[in-house]
Amino acid sequence: MNYQKYALAFVITAAIFGTAFYIANRLDARRISDIRTTQEAVATDILSLETQFDLLGSIDCATLPDTPILSEELASLASRLSVAEQNLGSNNVEVLALKKQYTLLELKDYVLMRQITQKCPKFKPVYVLYFYSNQGDCPQCTAMGDVLTYLRQEYPALRVYSFDYHLDLSALRTLLTLRKIDAEKGLPAFAVNNRAAVYGVKDLEETTKLIPELKTLATSTPSSQ
Amino acid sequence: MDIGALGLYVCLFVALYFEVFLMISFLEKRPEKKTKILPRHYPTVSMLVPCFNEGKTLAGTLDSLLALEYPKDKLDIVVIDDGSRDNTATIAQEYVAKHPERISFFQKPNGGKYTALNLGIEKSHGEILGCLDADSFVVADALIEAVKKFETDASIMAITPAMKVYRPRTILELIQQVEYTFGIFYKKMFDNLSAINVLPGPFSIYKRAVFEKIGNFRHAHNTEDMEIAFRMHANGLRIVNAHTAEVYTTVPKTIRALLRQRTRWSQGFLQNARDYAYMFFNRRYGNFGLLILPFCLVSMCAGIYTALYAAYRVCSFATARALEFFAAGVPPHFPVAHLDWFYVNTTMMTFVVGSVLSLTLVAILLGSRLSEARLTFKSFVVYFAFFGLLAPLWLMRATWGALLAQESRWR
Repeated sequence: MNYQKYALAFVITAAIFGTAFYIANRLDARRISDIRTTQEAVATDILSLETQFDLLGSIDCATLPDTPILSEELASLASRLSVAEQNLGSNNVEVLALKKQYTLLELKDYVLMRQITQKCPKFKPVYVLYFYSNQGDCPQCTAMGDVLTYLRQEYPALRVYSFDYHLDLSALRTLLTLRKIDAEKGLPAFAVNNRAAVYGVKDLEETTKLIPELKTLATSTPSSQ
Repeated sequence: MDIGALGLYVCLFVALYFEVFLMISFLEKRPEKKTKILPRHYPTVSMLVPCFNEGKTLAGTLDSLLALEYPKDKLDIVVIDDGSRDNTATIAQEYVAKHPERISFFQKPNGGKYTALNLGIEKSHGEILGCLDADSFVVADALIEAVKKFETDASIMAITPAMKVYRPRTILELIQQVEYTFGIFYKKMFDNLSAINVLPGPFSIYKRAVFEKIGNFRHAHNTEDMEIAFRMHANGLRIVNAHTAEVYTTVPKTIRALLRQRTRWSQGFLQNARDYAYMFFNRRYGNFGLLILPFCLVSMCAGIYTALYAAYRVCSFATARALEFFAAGVPPHFPVAHLDWFYVNTTMMTFVVGSVLSLTLVAILLGSRLSEARLTFKSFVVYFAFFGLLAPLWLMRATWGALLAQESRWR
């Protein structure tokens, strides 16, 4: 009997597992780094807009494009963060830190958008503040998320800000207080523009009715117009 | 990580360990190439052909035996009809009439393949006994290759061949063609480890002394070819593989027939393993007891576990998606495609599964090179796409049958 062969096979197998673990971790670390870089770029863009706003006292509404703020970049960031959350788990320290930064960027984008709206009457954004939970107390949040994701694909100008209700972030707590969002009433919850929040899952038809402003937005495909 | 995924990692570790072990064995002892050297001595050989309703293939089997490159006075063929209800007996008698000096024919009431083989052992006289299922066809030099193998070491008591699929055409046959090619590599590596676990019906060759020492074939839960291998290991009798001795066999053409055949094999393994449980992890039986027997058992459990876990995950996902679909009312649409490495699945599971599949592919290619089998791209595609879906079915049926101590069925 050659027991060395048994040991060698074990060492090689363990080494393959170790290598797989190492490569997977390295790639996850690269993902985190990728998200951080994107977040920094978004933060810089937001800061630039804010500074422009501060310098001029008001921005030149005539020069604003239809969708002036970083809707696409934030959406891309959200989907990347979602992948990282799936791979590393929602309780991962790095993921939580990135999620907080992302939430802050969303909030800054939201505040800036409101400021621009006040200054520029031609700019009439349609936005949804969406509050979810992934702590097991909101089984229907995925369905609500699907509806809003679908609407965002159909109406690229629709701005959806999604927030993890339980995220420990003081700025988010302030927003929850201001918009009177209470998880006791049953998540998911969403508020369209300045209107009061709606609780519970709504299907596509109901949600579309709750956002009549969608009719003013261009659709992504001619057939859906 | 959930418990289910952890179990899957354990299964993958076992599978990878076994594949690595076999690869080390391959690198330690490369299979020798076929040579044109002839045997120094030609022992008398009796080829036993047990038949039960083999009217469609018996003639081809006998033709291939008659065409064997072996001295005619040293080779006789014994056909045993185990109570066939078709024209098997008529065909056999026609061959006896044409070759009375080379073929003998016996009939008996149906009693199972092992009884037919035992009658053949009793009625034959060769120093060497070969068994050939009546749906298989030997290559002309197969017997010479086997006899040459016996000459390499006097301690060799039985020889297994390289089994190939006869004229694979349908998807099911192509799947089995890849599987058999994989098996050629496995058998050779089991030989390197002195741990061959089955002497298959198509063209296994024994020295008569085997039966004189350990007795004839037994019922053995309808897997007499497996049990005889177990019994030989239990008695320290050596089995080797002659990968240059090739035999072609017909394989099940329908899923139903395949399930029945493989259920019989798998259930036979479980029931024989229970009968020979004392050999598990017993150093006295070398790699057979320490590695092959435990691995075969664990691989069956792992196959069932993986299938159930995958089914659970697929069902959970499908149910969740269906519920979400009804709750959300979103029309079916393709999710946004991301052409970016960021969205590629690079979890540890992906790399481990990739490693296991890569080593499986290497083993198949080595088996293909050993046996000079020509596998097409289509064969690989259908094998990797469907084998994993089919195998758990017979593994579960076999386990269920073994737990209930049911008798497996031949056909």
